Amino acid sequence: MVIIDMRLLRLSLFNIKKSKREALAIVFLTLITTFMFSVFLANGSRIDHAFDESIKASGSVNRLLLIGEEKYHDEFKKILEEEYHPERLSENRYIYCAMTDVLDNRGEPISHNLLFVTNKTERQLEDFVKTEAMTEEEILQVEHPIWLPDTFRISKGYVVGDSFTVLKATASYPFTVVGFYESGLQSSDAYGFKCVISDEDFDLFSMIFDSGNAHSYTGLGFDGAADFSLDDFIDRCEASSSENIRSDFFDLSFENEKANETVFLSLYLMMTVFLSLVTFVASLFMIRHKISNDIEDQMQQIGVLEALGYRSREISLAYLYEYILSGGLGAILGGILALAITPALDQGIMIMLGRTMHDAPEWISIILVIVIITVLVTLFALLKAHTVKKYPPVVAFRRGINAHHFGKNPMPLTKMKGSVNCWLALKGFLSDIRSGIGVAVCIITAGTTVLFALMMFVFFKDGTKSLEYMMGADVNIIMVNLMSDVDPVAIKDEIAALPEVEKAMVTYDMEFVSVKDAGEPGQIMVYEDFGLSDTLRPCYGKVPEHDNEVMIGFSRAQKQNLSLGDQITLTSNGLEKSYIITGIISSMMNSGTVLYMTPDGYKRIRADGRAHTIYVYPAEGVSLDDLETAVSSHFGMSAKESMEGGAAGDSVEDKIRAAAQEKIAVLLSQYGVTDVDYAIRIGDQMISGNSRDFVIKEINSYQGIIKSQMAPIAEVTKKYTLIAAILISLVIGVILAILSSSNVRRLRHSLGIMKSLGYSSRDLMTQMALKFLPVTLFSVLLASICVVLLNSFFWRAIFGVIANANPFVILMGDVGLILFCYAVTYFSAGRIKKISVTELMTE
Amino acid sequence: MVSSILKTEKLCKSFSNGGLQQHVIKNLDLEIREGDFTVIMGSSGSGKSTLLYALSGMDKPSMGKVLFNGTEIQNYSNDELAVFRRGNCGFVFQSVYLLDNQNVLDNVLTGALIVQKNSPELVEKAKDLLRKVGLGEEDLKKYPSQLSGGEAQRVGIVRAIINDPKILFADEPTGQLNSSAGRDVLDIFTGLHQKGQSIVMVTHDLKTALRGTRVLYLRDGGIVGDFSMPVYGENDLKERRNKLTAFLEEMGW
Repeated sequence: MVIIDMRLLRLSLFNIKKSKREALAIVFLTLITTFMFSVFLANGSRIDHAFDESIKASGSVNRLLLIGEEKYHDEFKKILEEEYHPERLSENRYIYCAMTDVLDNRGEPISHNLLFVTNKTERQLEDFVKTEAMTEEEILQVEHPIWLPDTFRISKGYVVGDSFTVLKATASYPFTVVGFYESGLQSSDAYGFKCVISDEDFDLFSMIFDSGNAHSYTGLGFDGAADFSLDDFIDRCEASSSENIRSDFFDLSFENEKANETVFLSLYLMMTVFLSLVTFVASLFMIRHKISNDIEDQMQQIGVLEALGYRSREISLAYLYEYILSGGLGAILGGILALAITPALDQGIMIMLGRTMHDAPEWISIILVIVIITVLVTLFALLKAHTVKKYPPVVAFRRGINAHHFGKNPMPLTKMKGSVNCWLALKGFLSDIRSGIGVAVCIITAGTTVLFALMMFVFFKDGTKSLEYMMGADVNIIMVNLMSDVDPVAIKDEIAALPEVEKAMVTYDMEFVSVKDAGEPGQIMVYEDFGLSDTLRPCYGKVPEHDNEVMIGFSRAQKQNLSLGDQITLTSNGLEKSYIITGIISSMMNSGTVLYMTPDGYKRIRADGRAHTIYVYPAEGVSLDDLETAVSSHFGMSAKESMEGGAAGDSVEDKIRAAAQEKIAVLLSQYGVTDVDYAIRIGDQMISGNSRDFVIKEINSYQGIIKSQMAPIAEVTKKYTLIAAILISLVIGVILAILSSSNVRRLRHSLGIMKSLGYSSRDLMTQMALKFLPVTLFSVLLASICVVLLNSFFWRAIFGVIANANPFVILMGDVGLILFCYAVTYFSAGRIKKISVTELMTE
Repeated sequence: MVSSILKTEKLCKSFSNGGLQQHVIKNLDLEIREGDFTVIMGSSGSGKSTLLYALSGMDKPSMGKVLFNGTEIQNYSNDELAVFRRGNCGFVFQSVYLLDNQNVLDNVLTGALIVQKNSPELVEKAKDLLRKVGLGEEDLKKYPSQLSGGEAQRVGIVRAIINDPKILFADEPTGQLNSSAGRDVLDIFTGLHQKGQSIVMVTHDLKTALRGTRVLYLRDGGIVGDFSMPVYGENDLKERRNKLTAFLEEMGW
């Protein structure tokens, strides 16, 4: 049984009372540590569970393979059944619309990847569990009902009855949200949102959405195929159909979607753990510092206690109680805070995850963290407090050997140059260099965190703009897909001459090819002159110049262990070609699987490829919308716009012309017709036209999808990193402030003497702040190196891209940190002003 | 006519103690002449040290004026007082108050370098002064903990005079020294005075007071006696002691 000696406890309380600020700092630091650890431990597994539970609650299949409808054969289903024996298998039709513009519930345009299914398909894929819905009677009243995944309710603020308008060119398809449901798969921006619509709307969409980014698919949804291998399955399907169909597969799996949806939350939690480690290191340092100071200050008192018969172990206990009290209090408060913010945190996680949190918070984890932090603090304090035994009574009476200085005399004043304050500060620093080690550890860890948070904040300051250089594609452009019978070079020249256009270039459609010995196919991006690109700059090597050269994404290079000079073999339509890797680029596009080639290189593997896409770069100050309008108005409405029922005038003639154009557009874009003439007589009037009016098939851009997918992440990251930077700066501030002010307390006697010699408070405060400067400079320099490494690791690990740390931001951060540390130590030494010379002399 | 270096007018200093005002110095008018070796004596609690600190700009008076060479210093801020002290005053304390982490030479130079630029001449001056008070080359690198009380006090004196202060203040400089060490220290003070140094010293020791040219006796925050003597010399020591003793007895010492 532990008996607490009240006399020792009183000594502990006295110590706490005597140095309230340090005690409060320890409470604060352990509070923050416990809070952040608790948040991580209590919620890390819940995020994992939230996804699993959501899949379970939805009754969803674990995998859905979408295969382009025109490439699908019934044999594929049989292969799946016979070779992999799934427990559950359904075959249905789907319409997948990538980068589809919609008007959200506030009427704001945004792009989403959308997967349209019917009620029947949904019931075969999962249990169609509704979370919130109109009544059956109300639904019957709705002309175009749509069921959206629950994430729209949780994350995007939709409510039942909201409008959800799908836009295709100038046509709009307004839906009314009749309810939300638990969607297992297809509940994310990256993989698309599965929207359940009526059979009639589905039929309409399957007619009009079958070009460009919108396609009809046949989907095989299945469960329990333990030995399933996508590559193996595709090989078997290709063998069965004698067609190259790899590019027509779209694999949606539980694992991929989970990894995609939880990656950022896991990332934030990992960052939280990192922050808590930083504060924990800081708290241990504070404890070490405080115990050392206390023992030094109370040396004579220790001697008296020892002379009275107290054992050094018992005296150590007095220090121990102090940290059990202050560290324990901080840990408990941190745990309570973690519990208190759980509802808000739940809301945040649900919003980010877009799924309902089914689990209750793990109280036991929080209690565990409280206990662990308190025990660790106690153990650390015990180790340090044990030094009391080094001081038998006589040594203690003489205030320890530390008071007797026999060491070297660093920076003798006889050699002084420059300012005496500077010299004395450096002299003081060199005389006590050991205590600088702890400060350095704190500033290095915390400084690295602050600099990293600052870099992330600056990176995401302008939303997703900085990401453009990592996308692996020029995203601030419009992609004009031309009709097959037009001369792309002539059109390109015409477009380039528009005042809204900075430059234009002809390229090929981004076709998929198989990459030998790699799980992921590659999408080929072609540039005749990579110098025209605004953002494509290889991180290693150079851009391809010859037909046997390729540039690959960093992610692919890592996954396949490829480096410059290696060969990569591509297959497509029975062709197999090898390419030499000349460059490696940061590319987030399609998870970094894009392959970059010259037109000649592209033709080696896709001999049938045609260059009928033009990348159009806006002139400065021109928005993509304005650019699209300028191109459209110059060449007339695109076939796609016409097909989807583009604008028509009010007159009968306008309406007839619009209807005729629409028909021609369908013929051109869906049936491969190249030339159409028409003439319609109405009374005496002849209305005629032809397909040569169409130049543009469709216009696309990446902007909408970046806005919907990356902008929220950029926003959250920006806020998170700002808070992290402030919090850790606060931690640094607290540590330095406490060190500085406790130094004043410790050196009160010397400072009083200096005052009597004519040193002003300002001189002494400057000395005190300058004393920390060498260690601050050294630590900030090391933190800068650490942050470069951390930044590189972060982007590689999370996005599979290479990101160079911005030296300007680091420099500014360094300057800011140094000034901050200087200001904190200077002003925290303000207690010097209160030191009275007379008080010192008469004590 | 000898000019006054320090003057007070209606000087008051009081302390607040548990809500009670304790008036230590009361309406004190005083003039310290340049070149004098002024000794302030009085019983414990009479306000000797308080007066010394008020005169030297170590502490601000509660009321009244302190004029140094005709300039009022009582309204100076703490930092202005620091600048005033560094340029005009030297201090020798009973407890010496050397800086523990600096050796003998650095302790002296710490006081000097706040006023003067570093130069070989300054270092040589410091060494010379230390030599003159009996500290050899081998002592210069010693730390305070390696010095005897007398040696430490001699370092304290050199530190106080390194800037050639206009006035040297000393607060019971021999209070913690044995008689031999005390005598050595007093000899240094006498030597300095004989070279024209103005000195104000607080003491309650007769032997120390004998070195002065003027003895002020303080009681209840006011000067109740002012006794002048010629410059100290060995040959008139007996007569000097007798006169001073008589004065002090008259004061109730």
